[in-house]
Amino acid sequence: MNISKTQRGRAAAAVSLAAVLALTATACGDDGSETGTEGSGKGEITFWDNNGGPRTAIWTEIIKDFEKKYPDIKVKYVPIPIADVQSKYDTAIAGGGLPDVGGVGTAYLANMVSQEALDPLNDRIKGSTLNGKLVGSMVDGVKAAGGRGDDMYSVPTSANNGVTWYRTDLFKTAGLEAPTTWANFYKAAEKLTASKDNKFGYTIRGGAGSIAQAIDAAYGQSGITEFWNGDKTTLNDPKNVAALEKYVALYKKATPAADVNNDFTKMVAQFDTGTIGMLSHNLGSYQDHLKALGKEKFAGIPNPIGDGGTRVQVSNPVDGLGLFRSSKNKTAAWKFIEFAASHKWNSKWNESAGAIPANTEAAKDPWISATESTELAAKALTDGSTKIVQLPYYLPDWNNISKADNEPEFQKLLLGKVTAKDFLDKIADELNKAQKEWKEIGNG
Amino acid sequence: MTAALAEKNGTDAARPPVRDHRTPAAHRRGKPGRERAFDDVPRWQIYVPLGIYLVFTLIPFYWMFLFAVRPAGSTSLVPWPMTGEHFSKVWNERSFAVFFQNSMIVGVCTLVCTTLVALAGGYALARFNFRIKNGFMLALLCSQFIPGALMLVPLFEIFKNLQMINSLGSVVIAETVFQLPLSIILISGFIKNVPVTLEEAAWVDGCSRFRAFCAVVLPLLRPGLIAVGSFAFVHSWNHFLFALMFLSEQDKQTIPVGLNTLIGADSVDLGALAAGGVIAAVPVVIVFAFIQKWLITGFSAGAVKG
Repeated sequence: MNISKTQRGRAAAAVSLAAVLALTATACGDDGSETGTEGSGKGEITFWDNNGGPRTAIWTEIIKDFEKKYPDIKVKYVPIPIADVQSKYDTAIAGGGLPDVGGVGTAYLANMVSQEALDPLNDRIKGSTLNGKLVGSMVDGVKAAGGRGDDMYSVPTSANNGVTWYRTDLFKTAGLEAPTTWANFYKAAEKLTASKDNKFGYTIRGGAGSIAQAIDAAYGQSGITEFWNGDKTTLNDPKNVAALEKYVALYKKATPAADVNNDFTKMVAQFDTGTIGMLSHNLGSYQDHLKALGKEKFAGIPNPIGDGGTRVQVSNPVDGLGLFRSSKNKTAAWKFIEFAASHKWNSKWNESAGAIPANTEAAKDPWISATESTELAAKALTDGSTKIVQLPYYLPDWNNISKADNEPEFQKLLLGKVTAKDFLDKIADELNKAQKEWKEIGNG
Repeated sequence: MTAALAEKNGTDAARPPVRDHRTPAAHRRGKPGRERAFDDVPRWQIYVPLGIYLVFTLIPFYWMFLFAVRPAGSTSLVPWPMTGEHFSKVWNERSFAVFFQNSMIVGVCTLVCTTLVALAGGYALARFNFRIKNGFMLALLCSQFIPGALMLVPLFEIFKNLQMINSLGSVVIAETVFQLPLSIILISGFIKNVPVTLEEAAWVDGCSRFRAFCAVVLPLLRPGLIAVGSFAFVHSWNHFLFALMFLSEQDKQTIPVGLNTLIGADSVDLGALAAGGVIAAVPVVIVFAFIQKWLITGFSAGAVKG
């Protein structure tokens, strides 16, 4: 029997079409919004660590102890690189394959909540050993970041805080006071700079993550304590504009010219190789400084105090653990969250990370006061001496506005291609629109 | 007669005389024009730009090597005293031994799959005329403009439904698919350069098309196969996105994902990161060192004439 080329072509086309349709049809599987089940409380659960790598050792320890306590539950640990965790979650929300439990930071919590990927945890917390044992400011931060009123979509585990790291040996040699005030900060930045010898008083963040740091410097100096004034942001207030102008004027005058591309790794590397006098980062880089410089050559204090006598800082993201709506074993997943956020393990985890625990009992452990920078940061967050400006992490557009959309603009600002006013006006305009849209869909 | 004899013996006398366009001075030096021009250039005009280029190229590698072998906390600009602590840390504690093995599996499998499929596709394009051939070539070219990230969710769903998530096979398939268009175009260019009469001679001698292809065409494609294969290997070795998205188990992850886990949210171990970078670079450097000659021949033959 002869089969013509046309017939064969048609047959091949039909088979191809059928294959495509079959694949398309079978692709309609579970996505992030699928409602899972409580499960038996036994079996395997999957946990995605949102800062995989640096925290792998401590999580391995926690999981080992958890499996010892609950021998019927096995935890599959998956480390995800921090830089890509949001895209990994987004792909899994769109295509399925979310874990049972995952590390969730407030910076992208709203995005996940808006996609209905997480379960609210209020009722579970009420009936658990964690009830009343979570630091109030972090609980508020998580609730605000979720953007759904009082609903909590993650159990806070730790918080970070902005720190001004400075070289105590260089300050001593130059006869400078610690940068506890902005006046001292600017004085030291200028005096420690000898650009011909490749020595600089400060390193400014011009690359990835620059916006939050610039906003921190602006509010820290202006003394403005609220991010919103009604429906309009205070970001482009004239006081903030003046403060930002002063701050970016340090670029090239007291910082390396290459800072225009600085992300935190380059900033920390420069500080640790000994050419920089001061660095604005957070508690997380303490171990790096310790390894590179030794305990005697550096110190870390909360951000400088403004002319008004009050220390003002912007809120740092709160890290937490979320329970995914699609989980088929929520009982076991919740047991794991409860265990990891308990006094013992929350304390150990934060000690290893150099962060501030969310568990109130863990926050009183002796290791906190053993390191000056951590102790001061913990006090700043809890004793009321510092005013925290809450950044609008709840806006689904916050990440775009504070990163991809405006980091290149900050580089233009450093290079003198736009003014501080134009820069802040642009961001303020975008934030006002995002806030309006967010309220129009029934939030706030 | 002499010419015929010389031709038979393969001597120069068989070739037609070539007119010498060289200047008398060049003639005296006995070098053809292009070589003379090269010889007339002062050496520093060649070596200084090359040296500057090399400095810019090698400094990042030197930096990586320095941080990899320098003890933590050292600010020395020379790699002395040396330490292996960073290599030991990433290889043993940070599971780079496993990542390396996985990357090697993905790289070699992608190389094999890409080369085999590209051979078949390239042969069809080079030897057959069919109605949609030009359209197909255009589609292959256009597919190069589609970024991998755009296909991520559909690919993820397909692999999930095929129960292939968390399998190295999913990464191999995705990498192969994205490597194929360029590879097919390159291979078809190489095959076009092999005279079809050679194959026809083999058919006359009784070979089937497949046998003729294996016996006659394939050996002549060596530069092209090496070019395409090495490209597929290096690309899949370095590619991060598919491995990150399709593999959700620690013991399945590959070197690029492992390297990214060395950068934390607020801290980075530069020594470990540099050691990881050296480990990741070694296979690529070795591959290029061995195949450099073939690669240049391959690309010049396939890409330009394709």
